[in-house]
Amino acid sequence: MRRLSWLRAAVAAGAAVLLTAGCLSSGGNSGSGGNKNTGKTIEIMMAFTGPQATNFEKSVDPYAKSQGITIKWSPTSDFNSLINTRVRGNQLPDIALFPQPGIMRDIVKTGKLTDLSTILDINSLKSSFVAGEIDAGTANGKVYAIPVSMNVKSIVFYPKQAFSAAGYSAPQSIPDLLALTDKIRSSGKTPWCLGIESGAATGWPATDWIEELVLKYGGIDQYNDWVNHKIPFDSPLVNQAANTFSQIAFTPGNVAGGRQSIAGNNFNTAANPMFVNPPGCFMYKQGNFVAQAGGFPANVISNIDNTVGVFPFPPAKAGGENPVEGGGDLAGLFSGNNDAAKSIMKYMTGQGFGAEAAKGGTFLAPRKDFPLDNYPNQITKDIAKIAYTSTVIAFDGSDQMPGAVGSGTFWREMTSWISGQTSQANALKAIDTSWPKS
Amino acid sequence: MVINLLNTLIAIVVGVAGAFVLYWLLNKLVELLPTKWEERLKPYAFILPAFAVIALYLIYPAIQTIVYSFANAQSTAWVGFSNYTDLLGSPEFRQTLLNTLLWIVIVPAVSIILGLVVATLADRLRPRAEKITKTIIFLPMAISAVGAGTIWRFIYAANPKDQPQIGLQNAIVTKFGADPVNWLQLSSFHVNSLLLMVIMLWGQVGFAMVLLSAAIKSVPVDTLEAARIDGATEREIFFRVIVPQIWPTVITVFITVTIGVMKIFDIVYVMTNGNFNTNVVGVQFYNELFTNNNAGYAAAIVVMLMIAIIPIMWYQVRHFRQEEAAR
Repeated sequence: MRRLSWLRAAVAAGAAVLLTAGCLSSGGNSGSGGNKNTGKTIEIMMAFTGPQATNFEKSVDPYAKSQGITIKWSPTSDFNSLINTRVRGNQLPDIALFPQPGIMRDIVKTGKLTDLSTILDINSLKSSFVAGEIDAGTANGKVYAIPVSMNVKSIVFYPKQAFSAAGYSAPQSIPDLLALTDKIRSSGKTPWCLGIESGAATGWPATDWIEELVLKYGGIDQYNDWVNHKIPFDSPLVNQAANTFSQIAFTPGNVAGGRQSIAGNNFNTAANPMFVNPPGCFMYKQGNFVAQAGGFPANVISNIDNTVGVFPFPPAKAGGENPVEGGGDLAGLFSGNNDAAKSIMKYMTGQGFGAEAAKGGTFLAPRKDFPLDNYPNQITKDIAKIAYTSTVIAFDGSDQMPGAVGSGTFWREMTSWISGQTSQANALKAIDTSWPKS
Repeated sequence: MVINLLNTLIAIVVGVAGAFVLYWLLNKLVELLPTKWEERLKPYAFILPAFAVIALYLIYPAIQTIVYSFANAQSTAWVGFSNYTDLLGSPEFRQTLLNTLLWIVIVPAVSIILGLVVATLADRLRPRAEKITKTIIFLPMAISAVGAGTIWRFIYAANPKDQPQIGLQNAIVTKFGADPVNWLQLSSFHVNSLLLMVIMLWGQVGFAMVLLSAAIKSVPVDTLEAARIDGATEREIFFRVIVPQIWPTVITVFITVTIGVMKIFDIVYVMTNGNFNTNVVGVQFYNELFTNNNAGYAAAIVVMLMIAIIPIMWYQVRHFRQEEAAR
């Protein structure tokens, strides 16, 4: 009897396997997107929350209201996981603002995003956007997403009064920057603040450093080749960048708290020692977004033009080509047959969009024709000018790489390397190995 | 809010009523048959709906997962065993397996030992003191793992030297003049994994204590008296009279905690996301599926986990049957 029941179970299991085996999913369709919603209520998902989200909503809602459109905003700090889950389950928003083009390109493969060339005039957008921004939303030669906001990462913050009182000046080249670092250290002070902790996303600020240095040493073309893995991580170019980074970050005395503190130090607050007297450090490289609530201390932000200065991260050679690294949120359209969603897309990519958000101090517009007067303070105007006058903006490299690398091994291996669990050579090799094969 | 509550209420009412109506209808249908067939089919009428639900929501996904573990990242083409060979061939994944193994070896054993110690000692306190002690030790059990992670972040937090330390341990360490320690980055001898296990233990010891304490209290007093009269020491009474009598409870606690530990995800995800060589299988599965978009690797990891859990399940079922037979 016992044996018989085993036999029965085996037969049942075998039958079940036969019934379900071979049920692999089929590839996606392509064309006008995966969301069939045609109503006047649309959902927009984005990766930023808090004041940044409310300011952004304020820029869109009045227009939507005038068109009779209701927008359901879905801000989430766990955007990548959530959008992937929703794409998998076909619970699509109408519009998603992707912080990482890499994730967007992964989703393009499922055929659920809309080709925007049928809806927007791509050529006119190309001429009015900061150079390079439209390329970030391009996959297989078609534009699937347009930046609606921008951030600039090629900048170094410094404590304004103390920096000039000590007689330092903005470096003109990377050797200058290294010399300034040595000069500050040898005078018994600490040159850099550095922190790469960011919860489950720990490591991304370190990848920004490597990207910055690859961009400066290799120029935009080699940078793009590297982003597309035509130049591997374990190459002379990336090693040169990693060497410079390790010289800055690992030399004893260069970083407040030392090498071991970097991986546990949150990027938002890492620069806070800069604003005590005497400053705990003199330089902090980070995107413009740390200069707002949640980043720099409140008393610094309320008096930002007098307390904080900013210089562009210098080029490899003084006066050489100086592309700027940045990022942004790219709007992609899931419901390509929804007129309400289409008109919101047109509005968000149109001239002058974002004035209300800019006044809130949490927003940079990706269009060159955006009036600088909308920005609330001098430092934001300076940062915007760095971007608008640059020859080209290189979109954040790790954000463009496939998710497995750009928000996986690149973050992870940099964190391991900095905290001493692996060597530079092994870290770079491990990232190369993890690059998806297809 | 009100609408959500109403929806929940309606769902519960409709669900319960629906199940009732379904069984009532099935029963009526079977009763229409001739008596002989009615008797034959009635058990199935009652067991089939439950079986169908299990098949649909448990067995089918399990088989689909096994199938996907032999397919590529997008589950569109077969790749044979390469998901398994890739994973087992990578040093990172072997470290992940080793970490998971450490969790499995250490956490269940330590939670039973600590739970037993607390239960035994609390048993000797006055009733009021016993209640308070047990309540305090049981309290963390009510905190979700993510909440526990947030609390323990404040214990392990490290700020750079010369800045105020908000972490409890570093506040103590720096008081004695030492440099702050980045606790969660201490990867030699897997110290950081052990520190994460402390969080799990903090939550699990209370669970072990409650069950073991109940078992200890139900040990018949006459067996203890008989042992004392025969001149047994307290230690002998504990190990040779009490422990054998509560052994079934020990096994149950052990298996429950072991299965919980094999699925460990939230604590590691919240505290380190697997960085600094603290990765475990649950976190790696999540990252493969949701960060790396690699359904093949993710499915292969789950299948390995399923295979690893089978012996434990088998042991538990056997243990359960023996218990039933002994009764």
